[in-house]
Amino acid sequence: MTAPFLHIRALRKDYGVVTAVRDVNLTVERGEFMTFLGPSGSGKSTTLYILAGFENPTAGDILLNGQSLIATPSHKRNIGMVFQRYTLFPHLSVGENIAFPLKVRRLPRAEVDAKVAKMLKLVRLEGFEDRKPAQMSGGQQQRVALARALAYDPPVLLMDEPLSALDKKLREEIQHEIRRIHQETEVTILYVTHDQEEALRLSDRIAVFSKGVIDQIGTGPELYANPATRFVAEFIGDSDFVTCRVLSAGSGRADLAVGTGMTISGVPMHGIGAAGSNAALMLRPERLSLKRGAIGGNSLSATVTDITFLGSNIHVAAKVPSGEALSVRLPFGHEATSGLARGDTVSLAFDPASAHVFCA
Amino acid sequence: MALLTEQDNITAVGKIRTVRSRNFALTVPALLLLVVFFILPVVALLLRSVMEPELGLDNYRALLGSTTYLKIFLNTFSVSALVTVVTLAIGFPVAWALAIMPSRWASIVFAILLLSMWTNLLTRTYAWMVLLQRTGVINKTLMGLGLISEPLPLVNNLVGVTIGMTYIMLPFIILPLYGVIRKIDPAILQAAALCGATRWQALTRILIPLATPGMVSGALMVFVMSLGYFVTPALLGGTANMMLAELIAQFVQSLVNWGMGGAAALVLLVVTLTLYAVQLRLFGTARMEGR
Repeated sequence: MTAPFLHIRALRKDYGVVTAVRDVNLTVERGEFMTFLGPSGSGKSTTLYILAGFENPTAGDILLNGQSLIATPSHKRNIGMVFQRYTLFPHLSVGENIAFPLKVRRLPRAEVDAKVAKMLKLVRLEGFEDRKPAQMSGGQQQRVALARALAYDPPVLLMDEPLSALDKKLREEIQHEIRRIHQETEVTILYVTHDQEEALRLSDRIAVFSKGVIDQIGTGPELYANPATRFVAEFIGDSDFVTCRVLSAGSGRADLAVGTGMTISGVPMHGIGAAGSNAALMLRPERLSLKRGAIGGNSLSATVTDITFLGSNIHVAAKVPSGEALSVRLPFGHEATSGLARGDTVSLAFDPASAHVFCA
Repeated sequence: MALLTEQDNITAVGKIRTVRSRNFALTVPALLLLVVFFILPVVALLLRSVMEPELGLDNYRALLGSTTYLKIFLNTFSVSALVTVVTLAIGFPVAWALAIMPSRWASIVFAILLLSMWTNLLTRTYAWMVLLQRTGVINKTLMGLGLISEPLPLVNNLVGVTIGMTYIMLPFIILPLYGVIRKIDPAILQAAALCGATRWQALTRILIPLATPGMVSGALMVFVMSLGYFVTPALLGGTANMMLAELIAQFVQSLVNWGMGGAAALVLLVVTLTLYAVQLRLFGTARMEGR
C-alpha cells in the first residue's frame, strides 16, 4: 500500500492546561480540496498552523509523501499559505510580492519574470504588477496573496479564512476564483472556515472540527444526509431537535416514541441507546411535510408560532406540546400555507429514513 | 438635496479660519517663552559672532580656516556617527525583542529603560567613569579572570565617549523603533517564512525595510543630539578628541571670547537644521512609500 499524500496522525497541541487540538487524524489525497470546518476554538486553525510550522505539536506527526514535516522549519517546508489578514509586503509592489518567494530561492531573473507574469494571469490581475498593495482592494490583495503562495508550486496550499474580511458578494466571487484556480493548478488545498456555505461550495471533502477533534470527515452531501454526531447535524444544514424515547434499537436503527401518540420505526441511530432511554431526534426543516389540523396517526401535532416569507420559501415556526421548537420550510404557494395563521394546529410528518436520532 | 452655493462655501471657509486663529492663540504663551528665553539669546549670541571683536566674518574665518578647529568639527561628526551606528546596532534588536516579547516582560524592560533616562545625567556619567577607569570594576574583573594583564584604556578616549553616549542615547532609538516594529503585523513575517525566506532574509528584505522610517528618525535624532553633547564627552573623553560643545564652552568660559563661541554655535545650529530638513524629507517620502 502506498503512503497517503498527506497524513496527519494523532495530532495534539496543549497550551498549558488548555488543549487546542486533542486527537486529529486525517489523510488527504493529492489534488484534493479539503476544508476544516468548525466554530472558533475548535482546533481547525491550530491544526493549520502546525502544518505551516508556526506551532509545534505536543504529540503526533504530519507526513507529506511519507516524510515527517515536524522537524522542518517553516521556510523549508515549501508550503503555500494565504492568511486571514492581508499579509502582502507593503513596501513591495504586486509583482515584487509574487517574485519574493522565487527571489529568496535564487531563481534566475528571466524565470522569475515569466513566473510572475503567469501567476498574475492565473489570478486575473495582469497589468497590476507595479501597484503597491495599499492601492489594491481587499479582494485584489487576497488574490495577489494567492498568486504569491502558488508561485513556487507548493505541493500543499493552506488557506486560513482568507475571505472573512470581505463582504458577501465579493466573497462569492473569489470563492468562484479559488475553485477555478484549484481546478487549473491541481494543487492540494487545506482550507479553514467557520462558514458552512463556503465549505460546501468549495470542498471535495469537509472535516468538521469540534473541541479539538474531527467529528466527521466526508463530502458535503454525506455530512448532510448522514451526520455522525449531533454537532455535525447542527453545523451542516439546518436542523431541529425533539426529545424522544427509544423503544427498541438494533443494527443502527431505532424505533422511537415521540410525544404522546407518535411512534416511528427505522430511524438511523447514532451512539448507544438502550430501550427506554431518552434521545434527540433530528429533523430538517425542508424534510418535514405539513398538514392543517390535528390528523393524529403517525405525525407530530404542533402549534404555529410564526410564519416568515423568504422569497421562494415560506418558513413556518411551530411548537410541539413538549415546548420544543421546530421549523418547516415550504415552497412559496404550497397549498397548506394559504390562510395559515399563528396559533393554528398543524400535523408534521416525515420519512423516518431522513431523520436521525442521537443518543447521549 | 440642495447644492452648496458659493456663499455657503465662503462662510464655511470663514468658520475654518476663525477656528484656526483661535487654535493659534493657544500656542502664544509657549511661543512667547521660546522667543524671550531661547530665540532672543541665540540671536544675540549670533550677532556677537559677527560683531566681536569687530564687525565682520573674522570669527568664522578663524574657525573654519584653522586645522585645529576643523579637527574638532571632524571629530564631533565622527563621534556622533559612531555613536549613532552603535546605538542603532544595539537598539534594533532590543526594539524588536520588545515588540514580540510578552507584554509583562516588555513593561519590565521599559521600566529599566525609563529609569535610566530619569536618573541624573551626571550621576550616570560618573558611574561610567567608576566602571571604566583603570582600576574600575571592568578592568579589575577582566584582570582577575586572567583575560588581560594590563588594564584596558576605556576612559578619557573615544571608547569611553562612545560607551557613555551610546548608553544615554539608546532610549531615543529604541522607543521610536519599537513603535514602528510594533505596527508590523507578525503574520507578514510568517508569510515571508512560508515563502521560503530564512530568518536573515526576512530580516533584511522585510523587517528592516519596513522599520526604516523608525530607524531614520531615531538615528537622526541621536546624531543631532550627539553633535551638541557636552557632559559625557567632557567627562569620559580625552583632550585628543574634543567635541564642538566643549570648544564652545571653552571659548565662552575660559577664553571669554563670545565672538568665537557664537560662531561655533551657529555652525552647529546650521548643521543641525540641515539634518532636520533631511529627516523631514526622508521621513516624508518613507511614509508615503509605506502602507
